[in-house]
Amino acid sequence: MSFRPPVTAAPPQGATTAFSRSGFLRGFKRAQPLAVGTFAYGIAFGLLAREAGLAPLEAVLMSATVYSGSAQLAAVSQLGPEARAAGIGFGAIVATILLLNARYVLYGATLRPWLGALPAWKSYPSLFVLGDGNWILAMRAWDEGERDAAFVIGSGAAMFTPWLAGTLTGSFAGTLLADPARFGLDFLLVSFSAAMGVAMFRSRSDLWTVGVALAAALGINAVAPGGWTIVGAGLAGGLAAWLRASPGASRAFRR
Amino acid sequence: MSIDPALLPLLVAMAAASFACRAGGFWFMRFVPATKRIEAALRATPLAVMVGIVAPAAARGNVAEIAALALVAIVVRTTGNDLVAALAGVIAVAALRLLG
Repeated sequence: MSFRPPVTAAPPQGATTAFSRSGFLRGFKRAQPLAVGTFAYGIAFGLLAREAGLAPLEAVLMSATVYSGSAQLAAVSQLGPEARAAGIGFGAIVATILLLNARYVLYGATLRPWLGALPAWKSYPSLFVLGDGNWILAMRAWDEGERDAAFVIGSGAAMFTPWLAGTLTGSFAGTLLADPARFGLDFLLVSFSAAMGVAMFRSRSDLWTVGVALAAALGINAVAPGGWTIVGAGLAGGLAAWLRASPGASRAFRR
Repeated sequence: MSIDPALLPLLVAMAAASFACRAGGFWFMRFVPATKRIEAALRATPLAVMVGIVAPAAARGNVAEIAALALVAIVVRTTGNDLVAALAGVIAVAALRLLG
């Protein structure tokens, strides 16, 4: 296994990826505005989990291990009392989770150039707390020149904790923020994506990416709204960029 | 406070499926040749995914969401601050929904 440094602007030979406390804290702080939304959605999940008959500890355990809002909501809807009486559809629930989390496959792939040179005990925990919001923050931070890989797990940890706290709150007594949409919190991720996307948009080749991704997103959304829109847009935009780039070896990331 | 033992195998399976998605793409890229094209694709993916997140919200055609998205774009371009722009979008949506 070669130890090629993971950054594009060729660093000195033998350089390793930084993974420092200050990088962690930068990520942690940057994610705070998103953490508010995560807490509110945690409450919404906790409430639904309680309605489905999950004990608070069960709900928190699910939040801590599955850690995916959309997937957990879908799973819990298949865990109600009637579903339990009829026998839980094991395969169906796992398939739902794979489908709803398919976008994380793409997110993880894009983190290879950044986290690839880290030891597995640092990179895989970083991926464990990977979510939409902190991935978008991380991609934006990388774009701005952030290279400390602890940024990823720092921003992830900032979202993970309020998700658990929200779940616990909701499953005990959550009526306070039962409807996150009232406060526009359902729009938080969309708003962040739009802001980061506009900020990262620079060149004519980006226009090509956006155009192809938009066509794919609208097409898929019209036929099958839900899980596949993000995956389809990401793949289509990536493929467009792949086609436009010239073939040849890159020193950008380590294999 | 307790845990239903019947739920545990399901929790383990769900957690494994979730982590497989998170780790799978990262792991797989170990075996993908590092070409300029792959690098370009990886660079373009975040922007494309952001389009995939925003497009369905815009396609629903609600005035509040579309106006908020326009506001977000304007604030990013004028202030250069993406965080302020994102929060302005959320506030605008909440306010417009309250009015509408």
